[in-house]
Amino acid sequence: MAEESVGPHSIEAFRHGYEEESRLRGFRSGCGFVTATWVLVCPRCGIRDLVEADLGSTGRLVAYTVQTVPSDEFLNDAPYAYVVVDLDGGGRVTGWMAGITEESELAAGDRVRFSPTYKPGVQFVRDRPNGGGP
Amino acid sequence: MRETWVVGAATTRYGKLPDSGREAATRVALEAIDGSGIDPKRIGYTFVSNAFGVAERQAHVGPLINTALGIPDVPSATIESACSSSSAGLHEAFVHVAGGFADAVLVVGVEKLSHLDTLTATSYFAMGADYPFETRNGATFPGLYATLAYVHRQKYGTTSEELGAIAVKNHANAARNPHAHFQKEITLETYLRSPVIASPLRLYDCCPFSDGAAAVVVAAREAAGTPSSEPLVIRASARSGSVADMQDRLDLTGLPATRTAAVAAFRQAGIGPDAVDFLEVHDCFTIAEVLALEDLGFYPKGAAARAGPEGETARDGRLPVNPSGGLKAKGHPVSATGAGQVVEIFEQFNHRAGARQVPKTEWALAHNVGATGGSCSVHLFSHR
Repeated sequence: MAEESVGPHSIEAFRHGYEEESRLRGFRSGCGFVTATWVLVCPRCGIRDLVEADLGSTGRLVAYTVQTVPSDEFLNDAPYAYVVVDLDGGGRVTGWMAGITEESELAAGDRVRFSPTYKPGVQFVRDRPNGGGP
Repeated sequence: MRETWVVGAATTRYGKLPDSGREAATRVALEAIDGSGIDPKRIGYTFVSNAFGVAERQAHVGPLINTALGIPDVPSATIESACSSSSAGLHEAFVHVAGGFADAVLVVGVEKLSHLDTLTATSYFAMGADYPFETRNGATFPGLYATLAYVHRQKYGTTSEELGAIAVKNHANAARNPHAHFQKEITLETYLRSPVIASPLRLYDCCPFSDGAAAVVVAAREAAGTPSSEPLVIRASARSGSVADMQDRLDLTGLPATRTAAVAAFRQAGIGPDAVDFLEVHDCFTIAEVLALEDLGFYPKGAAARAGPEGETARDGRLPVNPSGGLKAKGHPVSATGAGQVVEIFEQFNHRAGARQVPKTEWALAHNVGATGGSCSVHLFSHR
């Protein structure tokens, strides 16, 4: 049975997208700015008629760090990478990658793919050309 | 606008407070009032900052402090702007006094987190980030600033040795500051051997979790009488904001709010960076000192990292930066940090900074950032 729908203009809709629909959602503004953060008005140009957009699930690493000291919700996951990703569908999103223990295991420009798991939040894995996992 | 002065300032030692935040805040407030020469009855407002007061099961601490100070009728408000909370309080004090709404205002910042374990404290700090869009995706504060450090290194070649030189400098300054959390010098070798917390940042790139309290009394020139200490004239009080989330910033080589607050502050004061003799900047991580010096306009983009190894920002250098030891080594009791920077400048202006005294004190700048730059305060001070 389908989950009760939640409006696109809510943080819950983002969470639902991540965890239940395997979708990275965002908003496209008339000025061209794409945000993957909940907003009601474009932070760049101030217009309100934002269009909800699917941002796809693949992209490239812009920046990352390997964290050895986690916050409490990631206690059993450290070390892991916290990543900034430019999505192929537009927009920039942050997320994490499990099992990365050394900075040298990744590089800016690496292709990654959104891959939801049991854990809340936006998790990425390396994107293999043949669609394989990490 | 009325000319507005800082006429009293006091701080605890940063590190571990033996008493509650409320007690420490009240004690430094009384010390600042006593040092100011202001009759407490002339205080028209108290702005208190205590972002993590809930860690002590306490909110609405302002009336408790005012009551204990014997001024229960004075209105108070809690000002929260993450790590820039008490500099935001100072800005509100400036607005009240310069605008004629109060003759004198008390600004107090306090934080006590030492009773929490590292994991819990890290989680508290992370509350300053965007929970559903950053923290829930794995970010910690070291991680967020480490991401900025990564981008800076990729674009400008910033090295660990350059960041390490900042840690060495700030520890050397803190070793000469009896109020500092860390009072020992470190070597570059110690820095380079310290464990990675969030690559490329190591343990010695990171500020500590500190307890502490700091207070300043702000008064109109005509209300100040003849202060016993040389006052700081507030020549500029500027605040700015920027897109809060890192994922909505296209440029990750700096903090936009620092740039806009600095432009506004220098315009208010009618000076440029060349006139400033020394700075207290927000170095929650070593990379943050680099970003601050560039975004404030003291160095071109990509050029500030070399200032550490070349000694330019040492206390006897061309431009002393963080003579107190900064957040990095003096410590970072979140809501006390902004007021504490002003206490350091007050002591420097009065030539009471002892072994860390900087040579020139005509103009000073205080720079205080909330979280990863969603908020920023820049204040400029000069003599009368």
